[in-house]
Amino acid sequence: MRLNKFLKTVPMKLYAILAAIVLLAFFSNDFGLVDIQKTAIILAVGIDKTEQGVALTSQIAVPKGSDRTTGGTSSVEIRTENATVSDCISDLQARTGWVPKLVFCNLILLGEEAAHEDVAEYLNYFLRNEYMSDSCLLAVCEGTAEEAISSQSALDDASSLAITKLFSDSSEKSGTVMKNTLKDFSIGYYGVSQSSYLPFIRTYVQEGAQGAQQSGGSGGGGQGEEQKIYGAEETAIFSAGRMVALLPKEQTLAFSMLKGNVYAGTFNTEEKGEIVTLTVLKDEGNVSLSMDGAPQAKLSLDVQVRLCCRGSAAPIEDVSTDRVPDEALKNAEETLRGYVADLFENCKKSGCDLFEFKRMLYRSSLRKYAEWKDTLLASLTAAVETRVTSLK
Amino acid sequence: MKNVTGNLQRDLEALKRILPAEDILTFSFASEEIDFACVFADPITDKELLGEQVVRPLLRYTGERKAEAVKKKLTSPEVKTERSLQTLAEEVLAGNPVLLWEGADEGIVAGTKKVFIRAIAEPSMDVAVKGPREGFIEDVKVNTSLVRRRLKTPELRIEMMKLGRRSDTFVAVCYLEGTSVKKTVEDVKKKLSAIDIDVIPDSSYLTHFLSSRPFSLLKQVGTTEKPDIFCAKIAEGRVGLIVDGSPIALTVPYLLVEDFQSAEDYFVPPYRATFTRLLRLFALIVAVYLPAFYVAAQLFKLQLFPVRLLLTIAGSIRDIPLSPSLEMLLVLLVLEVLNEASIRMPKYVGMALSVVGALVLGETAVSAGFVSTPAIIIIAFSGIGLYAVPNLIEQTSVLRLVMLLVAGSVGTYGIILVTAFLLLYLATAENFGAPVLAPFAPMLGRDLRDSLVKYNLGSLPMRPKTLKSPNRRRLK
Amino acid sequence: MKKISPRQLFFFLACIAPVGKLVLMPSRLVVEAKNDLLFPALVGFAVQTGVVFCVLLLAKRGESFADMLAATFGKIAAKVLLCVFAAFLLFAAFLPLLEQKLFVQSAFYDTLPSVVTFAPFFLFSAYLCAKPLGSLGRIWDILAPVSIVGFAGIMLLSVGSADYGALLPAGAAGAGGFWRGLAAAASWFFDGALLLPFLGKIDYRRGTAWKGALAYAAGGVAVLFFLATFYGVFAEIALNQPFAFTKTSKYFSGITVLGRIDYLFSYALALVMAFFVALPVQACVDCVKQAFGAPKYLPAALSVLLNLGLFFLALGLDYRFVEIMQVFAQTLFWIFPVFCVAVPLLCLLLRRSHASQ
Repeated sequence: MRLNKFLKTVPMKLYAILAAIVLLAFFSNDFGLVDIQKTAIILAVGIDKTEQGVALTSQIAVPKGSDRTTGGTSSVEIRTENATVSDCISDLQARTGWVPKLVFCNLILLGEEAAHEDVAEYLNYFLRNEYMSDSCLLAVCEGTAEEAISSQSALDDASSLAITKLFSDSSEKSGTVMKNTLKDFSIGYYGVSQSSYLPFIRTYVQEGAQGAQQSGGSGGGGQGEEQKIYGAEETAIFSAGRMVALLPKEQTLAFSMLKGNVYAGTFNTEEKGEIVTLTVLKDEGNVSLSMDGAPQAKLSLDVQVRLCCRGSAAPIEDVSTDRVPDEALKNAEETLRGYVADLFENCKKSGCDLFEFKRMLYRSSLRKYAEWKDTLLASLTAAVETRVTSLK
Repeated sequence: MKNVTGNLQRDLEALKRILPAEDILTFSFASEEIDFACVFADPITDKELLGEQVVRPLLRYTGERKAEAVKKKLTSPEVKTERSLQTLAEEVLAGNPVLLWEGADEGIVAGTKKVFIRAIAEPSMDVAVKGPREGFIEDVKVNTSLVRRRLKTPELRIEMMKLGRRSDTFVAVCYLEGTSVKKTVEDVKKKLSAIDIDVIPDSSYLTHFLSSRPFSLLKQVGTTEKPDIFCAKIAEGRVGLIVDGSPIALTVPYLLVEDFQSAEDYFVPPYRATFTRLLRLFALIVAVYLPAFYVAAQLFKLQLFPVRLLLTIAGSIRDIPLSPSLEMLLVLLVLEVLNEASIRMPKYVGMALSVVGALVLGETAVSAGFVSTPAIIIIAFSGIGLYAVPNLIEQTSVLRLVMLLVAGSVGTYGIILVTAFLLLYLATAENFGAPVLAPFAPMLGRDLRDSLVKYNLGSLPMRPKTLKSPNRRRLK
Repeated sequence: MKKISPRQLFFFLACIAPVGKLVLMPSRLVVEAKNDLLFPALVGFAVQTGVVFCVLLLAKRGESFADMLAATFGKIAAKVLLCVFAAFLLFAAFLPLLEQKLFVQSAFYDTLPSVVTFAPFFLFSAYLCAKPLGSLGRIWDILAPVSIVGFAGIMLLSVGSADYGALLPAGAAGAGGFWRGLAAAASWFFDGALLLPFLGKIDYRRGTAWKGALAYAAGGVAVLFFLATFYGVFAEIALNQPFAFTKTSKYFSGITVLGRIDYLFSYALALVMAFFVALPVQACVDCVKQAFGAPKYLPAALSVLLNLGLFFLALGLDYRFVEIMQVFAQTLFWIFPVFCVAVPLLCLLLRRSHASQ
């Protein structure tokens, strides 16, 4: 009887205990967790090779406070140097008191020197980190990543935000950049082809503009510093994690076209000795591998274009039509064929299996893959086909 | 128990001993042969009617002294005789004057009580832009008449019960014979009969006794202030309760989905009704979960914000001295205080309260850096959203607080677990044999047609299966 | 006693049971079977579909598991067997529990939280386990649409990023990879055994057995589709992607603008998973209840005790998950075929109880 009475009151007692625990947890609020006020929101990191090991430049967003009259995002760049990326991150926390959070890191920039090493050495930290998104953009830059990250953008408050704008969908469709993410680069690296690519970023001085508007940037945002703009028309190609060659912008365009990415890009060709610019309206690229006899790569492009611009004055009848003259079409085919052939040769020479022929072979025949996996790239010849048609 | 003796003086003294209160008055008058005395409760007796229907006809009375003979002379339509002094005293307290005279064998009770009722008006909570505007008032008779007017069928049963040892409150149990489940009707009556409480001031008292889980946070009895909704629910097979003194009628069994439906849904096109029902659900979910998710995201999972929004939030809370969870709790408590004060505050200072609430507490607190703008926006949105389902305000406002506390303690996973608790609790809860979460759990295909979605009336020929009505077809 | 309707059972088999296989099983399969991850999973589902069919045939008798055991082996032996089976269910519950803990720490937090943050799960689990198994039917009615929306949302956001060609060449991992994959996945395929305590609580109607098997197979197809998409998204790095279902959808292009909307779907599945993960413990409590009758406070007391024990075990083995998983996959994997395939099939030979005859 007494037990029954006691048991009847158990739920209420449990509720009370539970409420007390929740309140205690709510007001103490400490499970070793880091809230927004203690967090360093890292927008981008730059990685450079140093004698000590790695130099990590972290671009950290600095909130502007409730008075947001100036708008935008200010940032601060902090450089730490140590043996590994992880050590650098720990140093960052030790020196700032902030807990670095990489969940919003949308750009990893590799310095040129670092890119010539096996970059997995620098990237494995990010792949292992459960709290880091592997959908972040990955790129190589001219010189050091620290310079690029710390530079003052003429277009945005933070250099990383300006750089990531280069990789918009519209840029990709124009064929001027080949963007890549940490995940896709890693798939290429750990795949049978062990090859991949990254956009190569160059920094240009914006003539006539001197930085004075930034208030938050401390690393490189001093008064009177040159403002920079960025370009990523070239593409760095990698084999076994090392940067082995640089694709010029024509080959970047060809690579992009072969991937079937281009929908509004332009390229130049000639007609009667004069330059004409054509806009790509439809792009069907295809790369295949034939193993009948000697291995042969077939690289084909089927492109529809319209006339975009002439390098000389033209009569109004010509301006009013988009149709591309036959001669220009023929030359365009030649031009593209040249781009593709150069691209293939460049890759072959550098030992980069950019088109993942090994993967194609692996997927189609394990036996042939075992036979050819070491010699495939060297013995590969290319058959390039280009077909350019005009908008009617 | 004492009865009327016929000795007027002694009977009056006995009655006065039972009713010693000062507002119980005795009015003596005499006809040509007999001395009469009328005992009545001054505030609740209509003295004009008493004079017209009781005193005047007796002034020239010369006949027998038997109660039956005297009764015939009275012109009041509600007259009865009663021997027990205790019962007579109860009638006096109910506002009906008691007539005694020298040589009487019984007392006479005349139905001339004064009825204080307000006019039938539109209820403040169950408002419908389209559809009937009538609302229940505090008088049980008026309320039952409103029901009777809508359900002119002999199957409508209105059974009166008296509850409350001291209040003797009338409770009308309304149901449709042959449509309501007999067991439900019996269970309701059994539960009501078992109530042994001194006073029932309002229908809300009954909800406690009708609930199978009295400590539950969640509602277990349906409420409405509108006779049209009340009748519709009865017509579906529910049992309704109207309590004297309360404008809020009760219905059982209660299903959670009822509160997402409004009377208006049946007067507008079905696609509009479906949209508004889903909107109510969405608003309620947002109102309950938004503050909690906002706090959990700031404390434990920043990724729930897009990066630009995160930077804006980070900027706005940079100088706030409180942690995100305490900040939100503070703003929520301020909202609850404002809410409570605005209901109770006299109307003429209401304007001042709005100014203090909006400007002083809102604008100034943000400028002073006590709280951030996003927190105010979140709570404002949540505060509005909660009122999309006004009948669940008591429950959802507590739930919002619980969610916030849990989110501030263990983050998003805590929110998921409280939701799981809630679902489990609701899914296993039953109310007079009907599952509270029906028609979703258990999933009843046909009943879903009038749940969060609303089909047109032609597609709803049957009463809800959940209510197990013996007469399922309503549309032939 | 409340009974589970066939619809509710189908919902469980098609929409709830498969959810438990979306967390760590995909990456574990990739570790062992690489791009052939679909084959061990396919075999697992095929076998369990058969087992589900057999168990549901038993459900046709309308008798409880305890009654059938008692009719065949006598009351004392039935008690012992039920306790052994309850112990297996507790064992089977352990890996999903630890898996759930790791998943919560990853998907619900930005930095590694204290293990105590997972403690509320055991509160929930204790509450759930105190409820009779028969009352689960209604909750399955609610969870099924949640599961469908969550899964469909994740798949919609994921398929665009998947290169299904990555699954080629078939058979690259060889027979060794296949068997290792099968052993590694075995600890996730206990659905048939999980149904045994439900015997006598299912409102069996004509065709329930084959429809139930079909529902389970449909859930299996959905999981296989997810596994294919998972490997299509991550290819060679898939083995480094635990908590698979929270990962595949984050490459959707709209996410950069809207934030991680995919978490809404992941959290919907997490809600379903909370019920599924606690289910073996609940079934264990029910088995003990069946063995020893049902004193009023036994289920509540037992569920509190078991969950308290599991909580401390999870606390103690916080950093040993990899070792535990290896033990499950390499040393103790045989327990699952025994209890999840052989035992349910042998149950077909059990006698009917006198009451039903």
